[in-house]
Order: sequence, then C-alpha cells, then structure tokens
Amino acid sequence: MIIVQQNDFDAAALTAGLRFRTEGKAGSIVTFTGYVRDYAQDASTRTLFLEHYPGMCEREIESLCAEAQARWNVLESIVVHRVGELHLKDQIVFIAIASAHRGDAFSACEYIIDALKTRAPFWKRETLTSGEQFWVQRRDSDTQKTAQWIEPPRTEENEENP
Amino acid sequence: MNGTTIKVLYFAQVAELTSTRVEQWPLAQPVSGTDWLAQLETRYPQLAPVKRLKLAINQYHVSHGTLIQPGDEVAVFEPVTGG
Repeated sequence: MIIVQQNDFDAAALTAGLRFRTEGKAGSIVTFTGYVRDYAQDASTRTLFLEHYPGMCEREIESLCAEAQARWNVLESIVVHRVGELHLKDQIVFIAIASAHRGDAFSACEYIIDALKTRAPFWKRETLTSGEQFWVQRRDSDTQKTAQWIEPPRTEENEENP
Repeated sequence: MNGTTIKVLYFAQVAELTSTRVEQWPLAQPVSGTDWLAQLETRYPQLAPVKRLKLAINQYHVSHGTLIQPGDEVAVFEPVTGG
C-alpha cells in the first residue's frame, strides 16, 4: 500500500490493519515514523513545505517496495508520505513491514526509508521562526546510507535464521 | 512517443529559479541530457551550475548521458530530500 497525501495518518490504525491482514503468517511487524523536527542547529523550524512529483513519486516508492520484497521475506509493506505544509512535531512519513522474521522486517524497513530519502522525488522547504525560507539540501550521510545497501546483504546464514 | 517538442517539468527550487513549473520545449532530434542541460543554462543562467541538477525522463531517474527523445517528459530538479 502506497499513499502520498496532505492529510495526517493514523499510524496505529495502519499497523492494526497490517496485523489483521497478515496474522498467522507474520512473525513480526516493524514500523518507522518520521516527524518534523528542528533541522537547523541554530534556529527553530516553524513549518516545512513538502513538494512532490505526482506519478513518479508513487511509482518510485512502488519500485523500492518491490526491491525490498525481492531481497527479503516481506509479506506486505505500507508506505505513507505526506506533502504540503507541515508543522513542527507533525508526522511526515510512515513505513510498516510485515514479515515472518524480524531480521527481514528490520532490513526491509530500513532499506525503504534510506532509499526513499535519495530516490523518491520529494523536496522540503523549511521556514524558520524568523520567517527565513530555504530548500533543504541533500545530506551526504543520506547518500552514504543508501549506498551501503548496494552490496546484497542476504547470505545463506541469515536466510536460515528465524 | 513522437513529436517535435518535449514537456519539461521544474520542481521545488528549480521551479522558483525559472518562475515556471511546466513548458513545452522544441526538440526535433534526440539530444543527450548533458547537451540539453547546457541549452537550459543558456535559457536560465540563474540555474548555473546545471551539472548538480538531476534529470528524470518519463518519470524515471536517468544519468546526464541518457538521450532525450522528442515527445519525452523531462523533469529537472535538485537532489531529492524526502523522508
């Protein structure tokens, strides 16, 4: 399930729905929720505006989820990402992975959020409490985190472990 | 796709710098992303240096070496910052 929307989302309800649809098969559900925080070190964030490329955005996230499914044991994945104007402490993004095994669920969830940050066409414009506005720049650490997934992490050993 | 134009989409900071979100751009022959970005910089010098910009063709990320064909949808943007 992939949703890009302006409205807020109910992480608990999304997780409950995933549990209902996969119960008996899923030994684990791993979730990640991202929130608006103060991005600048020496100034306070007032609002964050998220712009996206409709169509490509959903397709790119779908492709990340398909890649995760090909690499790990994933029963079902959910990605919800908000766009438009968000405020400090608001929820931005939600990812949930149901899997038979926790290792696969953790890996797939981390892979999707890391890859989403460098591939899904979203852009953040930050407005500080001073009124100053600027577009958030890509961090090198995000690029490095995505690059670390290029080596296939799946081995015979972790395929056998529960 | 056929035609003699491409549809160009600008996003975020790039849209602010060009004051445009979408436009048709004449293109009769295929051109590499690098060569087309040079044309873009001529038209919008405020975008320099264009080497940092990313391209998507028909909603797929591509490298600057990829050929843009007449009829394509080409998106131009800064590195993405979602999540």
